Amino acid sequence: MQHVSKRFDATQALEDVSLTLYPGEVHALIGENGAGKSTLIKIMTGVHRPDAGALLLDGKPVHVNNSQEAQALGIAAIYQEPMVFPDLNVAENIFISHRNRGMLVNWGRLYKDAEAILAQLDVRLDVRMPARGLTLAAQQAVEIAKAISLNVRVLIMDEPTASLSAHEVDQLFRLIGALRNKGVAILFIGHRMEEVFRVADRITVLRDGKLISSRVRAREENLPAQREQVIREMVGREVGDFFAKVEAPRGGLLMSVRNLGKTGVFTGVNFDIYAGEVLGFAGLIGARRTDVGLALFGIEPADSGEIIFAGQPVQIKTPEHAMQLGIAYVTEDRRGLGLTLPMSIATNITLPTLRRYLNNLGLIRRRDEQRTAEEYRDRLMIRTPSVNLEVGKLSGGNQQKVMLSKWLNARPKLLILDEPTRGIDVRAKAEVHHIISDLAAQGLGIILISSDLPEVLAMSDRVLVMREGRQMGIFTRSEATQEAVMTAAMGQQAATSAVRP
Amino acid sequence: MQSKWSFLRRWEGLLLVLLIMIVTYNAFNTPGYLTVNNWVNLFQLSIEKIIVALIMTFIIINAEIDLSVASMMGLSACLAGFLYAGGMPMEGALAVGLLAGIVAGVFNSFWIGIVGLPSLVVTLSGLIMYRGLAYVLLEDRSIGNFPAWFNRLGQQPLIGPFPLAMIIFFVLLVFAIIILHYSGFGRYVYVIGNSKEVARYAGVRVQRTKMLLFVASSTIAALAGLLYAARLGAVRGDMATGFELDIITMVLLGGVSIFGGSGSLWGVLLSVLIILNLRNGMGLANLSGHVQTGVIGVLLILSVLAPNLFAIVRTNWSRRRARATEPNGA
Repeated sequence: MQHVSKRFDATQALEDVSLTLYPGEVHALIGENGAGKSTLIKIMTGVHRPDAGALLLDGKPVHVNNSQEAQALGIAAIYQEPMVFPDLNVAENIFISHRNRGMLVNWGRLYKDAEAILAQLDVRLDVRMPARGLTLAAQQAVEIAKAISLNVRVLIMDEPTASLSAHEVDQLFRLIGALRNKGVAILFIGHRMEEVFRVADRITVLRDGKLISSRVRAREENLPAQREQVIREMVGREVGDFFAKVEAPRGGLLMSVRNLGKTGVFTGVNFDIYAGEVLGFAGLIGARRTDVGLALFGIEPADSGEIIFAGQPVQIKTPEHAMQLGIAYVTEDRRGLGLTLPMSIATNITLPTLRRYLNNLGLIRRRDEQRTAEEYRDRLMIRTPSVNLEVGKLSGGNQQKVMLSKWLNARPKLLILDEPTRGIDVRAKAEVHHIISDLAAQGLGIILISSDLPEVLAMSDRVLVMREGRQMGIFTRSEATQEAVMTAAMGQQAATSAVRP
Repeated sequence: MQSKWSFLRRWEGLLLVLLIMIVTYNAFNTPGYLTVNNWVNLFQLSIEKIIVALIMTFIIINAEIDLSVASMMGLSACLAGFLYAGGMPMEGALAVGLLAGIVAGVFNSFWIGIVGLPSLVVTLSGLIMYRGLAYVLLEDRSIGNFPAWFNRLGQQPLIGPFPLAMIIFFVLLVFAIIILHYSGFGRYVYVIGNSKEVARYAGVRVQRTKMLLFVASSTIAALAGLLYAARLGAVRGDMATGFELDIITMVLLGGVSIFGGSGSLWGVLLSVLIILNLRNGMGLANLSGHVQTGVIGVLLILSVLAPNLFAIVRTNWSRRRARATEPNGA
């Protein structure tokens, strides 16, 4: 890829970027949101055409006009959310893009070929199983198998680990290793520094549409220094404290949960949470941590056990009731469940508390609404020219802050944060961590559900670990090492530390 | 950034320009066109549909649909006529007709709000069922000879040049605009239309909002049916058949998205005025009713296409502008 430029309206998305991918090499591309990574991918896969510059494959210029042409050239991309057809089975998904399949499906051959490809990757999956029931990691394996079935030569992976648990990331990296050995050139886009440095042979930093640096990964002993350097290049400024939970005095008991369960989902959840405390929920995907959050917020109420909130036993059956008690839940699914993207920032912020902004006739006091939105814009540093802008036009990090504003404005006593830093850039992440720390210092109880293990460990006073719907243990800050938490989360010789209610 | 003419780039702006063109054309070609009486007449000919279009706007913005409104109009009118013919005083018969609307609305909302069936299916069965009931009541009879005061309400001006139905429309219009565009309830209607789940996760009572809308819809449809009976002076089982499609056309032409979440009553008001004046103008120009319907169909397709067309035009313009300012950019 040579001297590629692309402009959208007034934004120069890419400016004179040159990038070389070699067979059998994992090339990591990193940069903050809006750095131009997505545009680059879209140019490589034929979604966009460059305004200037050229794509060369085997030294020859190629023109990619759409994703079919990209596929024919052996360029494929897989994304954060795997795109599988839920009602088709694994084998059908793998061969979905094949044209020369004739009039009738030769099911026997289809299954055998699918199994062969999965075997190459050392993935064990029933090829007759519908994709619906697969874990995200398995869905990604299916997508990779699909790419292999198309004789992929260049595989682009756009934040493939964002929704995976640590264990699944290991699986994915084994797959990447297998692909590398087959001589595939891999472009890996990631937000998590450790993963990038674990998997990449070469690391390229993109910032504001420009190529900042491109370097081979340093040797083990120089890695920390290189990491610091790369992070500095990404944000273009010094990075202070990545994680920011400040020790704060623990307040009174806020909520006790005893033997909470929901049939077929989770069981035996026991914990206390105090004002001013961050209680981390760690676990792998499928640990059912989100389901506990949803039960506490009344979206999917629990059907057994007890919740004692502020000294009173309560049955939380609706979100409304949870809100009255002072519980707020910030969802992990920003776009689907958290925000109405076509509506304004102000509208989104006041939605749960709209009643506070109504006069006696039920009409909205727009000026108050506006004022609240502007307050939060300043307080959480939401970067936007106006609070009347559509939320959909903001970057992920700013959307996340709008979601936080929306729930902070409900003045909760207990704030449940579900993956609050997923898919947002480094700077926004650090800001969110600061916000969480401040809120705890102000006396909020916070449940932090996160699949980012270093994040949970750094931000939490105590860490509750779940595995497949069961609570494996609660660790204090000093006990909660990566090894201890991961061991519990994976259920191996689990929970030597006692379940402390 | 946004000039004061930027609204013209929205569908509502285009509707306004179109309306002004049509009215100007008609005014020059037809003497007496711009008189109050002519406009009252224009409105009066479709007033029942226009009234129902107000509540239909809420329902479609809420990402639902109510296909049962026209049958409901027929049923309430036939029920009132049937009871009156059976000896009930007209006042009582009207009250029962209106009550039927409330009952039907509760019925629709039960299936949609509590059981969770799609409104398309529930109200389609309402469309069939209520129409069937109307025929059961009246078979192929027509009932007339209503009290003189009733017919007068439908046919004579009540205040100034305005008959009752128009006054009801104005009052409802003002209420509808305030509720949809300025109240908390209206905000919920938009949010739910955009995403039910986002609303639910924010503690909004989604079911209650939807149920209220469907009760209101059937009730207003029943009222419109009674007004229609008063204007015609007689009721029959097939009255108001097919009106639901005209009503939905008015709403969609006004720029309300069939997928919910966007649109405004201003747009619907403009689209109503355009439909009325366009039909009137084309009628005066000796174009048949079928041609008129065809033209409105084309407009409807344009209303769906327009937002996409605008987007294409806008990107082309800005691209051209970018090229013009930066000749080496290409």
